[in-house]
Amino acid sequence: MTAEVLKYTLAQVEALELAPGTEHLKLEGWVPLLAGEEELRQALEKAFDYRGDVTLTLKSGERIEAYIFNRYTGPTLAESWVQYFTPAAPDKRKVSYAEIARLEFSGKDRAAGKHWEDWVKAYNEKKVAGEKNIALVPDVLE
Amino acid sequence: MAVPISQMATVATYVLKKKLAGNKRYPLVLMLEPLFRCNLACAGCGKVQYPPHILKKQLTPEECFAAVEECGAPMVSLPGGEPLLHPQIVEIVNGLVARKKYVYLCTNALELKRRLPEFKPSKYLTFSVHLDGQREHHDFSVCREGGYDIAIEGIKEAVKRGFRVTTNATFFDGTDANGVRGFFDEVMDMGVEGIVLSPGYSYDKAPDQNRFMGRARVRRLFRAILSNRKPSWKFNMSPLFLEFLMGDRKYECTPWGSPAYNIFGWQRPCYLLQDGYADSFKELMETTKWEEYGVASGNPKCANCMVSCGYEPTAVIEGFGSLKGFWAMVRGNFSLYKDDAALKLLNEPAPHGPATLVQIAEPAESLEVTNA
Repeated sequence: MTAEVLKYTLAQVEALELAPGTEHLKLEGWVPLLAGEEELRQALEKAFDYRGDVTLTLKSGERIEAYIFNRYTGPTLAESWVQYFTPAAPDKRKVSYAEIARLEFSGKDRAAGKHWEDWVKAYNEKKVAGEKNIALVPDVLE
Repeated sequence: MAVPISQMATVATYVLKKKLAGNKRYPLVLMLEPLFRCNLACAGCGKVQYPPHILKKQLTPEECFAAVEECGAPMVSLPGGEPLLHPQIVEIVNGLVARKKYVYLCTNALELKRRLPEFKPSKYLTFSVHLDGQREHHDFSVCREGGYDIAIEGIKEAVKRGFRVTTNATFFDGTDANGVRGFFDEVMDMGVEGIVLSPGYSYDKAPDQNRFMGRARVRRLFRAILSNRKPSWKFNMSPLFLEFLMGDRKYECTPWGSPAYNIFGWQRPCYLLQDGYADSFKELMETTKWEEYGVASGNPKCANCMVSCGYEPTAVIEGFGSLKGFWAMVRGNFSLYKDDAALKLLNEPAPHGPATLVQIAEPAESLEVTNA
């Protein structure tokens, strides 16, 4: 069982009035220093959780722009891997932790921003301006 | 009683067979997400925040059918994204109906009226229309003015054409119980088969992180909403799950009850949490560390979850898995849940918008004590 699991008692959980939200880490543009095995593992765990593309530079020199959606953490770096889609290829791909030399959170974080308060503010401003059919629209799929 | 007898019989037979075979873990509903693309940008949704190349991907009909066969669940829910944006959604639905799966196509109904002529009414097909409340509440919730009116047009046309239709509502903090009860009257007047509802889940990727109700507040809200029911209200859900939401039952999550499959694979451990993916359903069932999930595990990501995809399977298995459960379910289907204390809750001032965020940044030392 992971350490993260052991945090609340049942009584505390049952008494929750408001559930704590998540504070988003600002990872966009970050290039973690991969000084050792633990740093690499932690950075790739964040990349797995990131809702944007990252750029992986392999020890071979190959650069891969990828959306990482899965990871397996084995006892060694060679036995650990991330699974990803690239914008160009239709198939799922894997690369071992041991092959990764550099990681950059290069793509836009699609989960960042757009808070409820922003929507309420925009709605009120547009309403006062007399606009009709006020809406948030999904991002354009460029 | 909103769920047709034939569907109940299918699910009951399935549960009994699994029980007799000694299966401890089995799925009831496959959450089949054919795509993540959506035509809404709801602030409470954490499902669609992906780069464009991911949003452009979608499952093929063959991939959908293979997942359904592999999983074997008697019911299939098609959420997303917006399934009606999938260019082959008709082929997918027809293939599932041909396999005699009870299909719930979850839609915001912005495209429903236009697409209805392509579908054929069937006892196996239900359009589950996302409606979060009355006009103003729904439009604000999905961040689109006019969304309610378009959805209503779709619902009415679907009912007119003989389709099974349910409405599907998610409630966040700030929900007005009286407004919800008025909403129930409105949708039942439209001729829908039943209502589906659930408290929202605190998606960590949702833009709005301030309106997730804790369990105590969920129970109070649903006690106010669901007690003293009108006879005209029908719920397309297990009555035992509704009793759980009202605080009358204590359940554990059954995360394998509603497994999710999408372009990434079989999602661990459930439809709501993304803790990785398995390549096959067998791998999902056999290699997921189930003991790390559910409220009893102490996992903070599960702490406030009372969502239907985790807890309704628990209720359904209890309802069809024992005489006591079955009797409770029958009784629940016909009870109006008279409750004077709940009436008083309805007379409390209506909440106005999101409450102040209570952020537990670092667990205090006392919180480290666990129930594990």
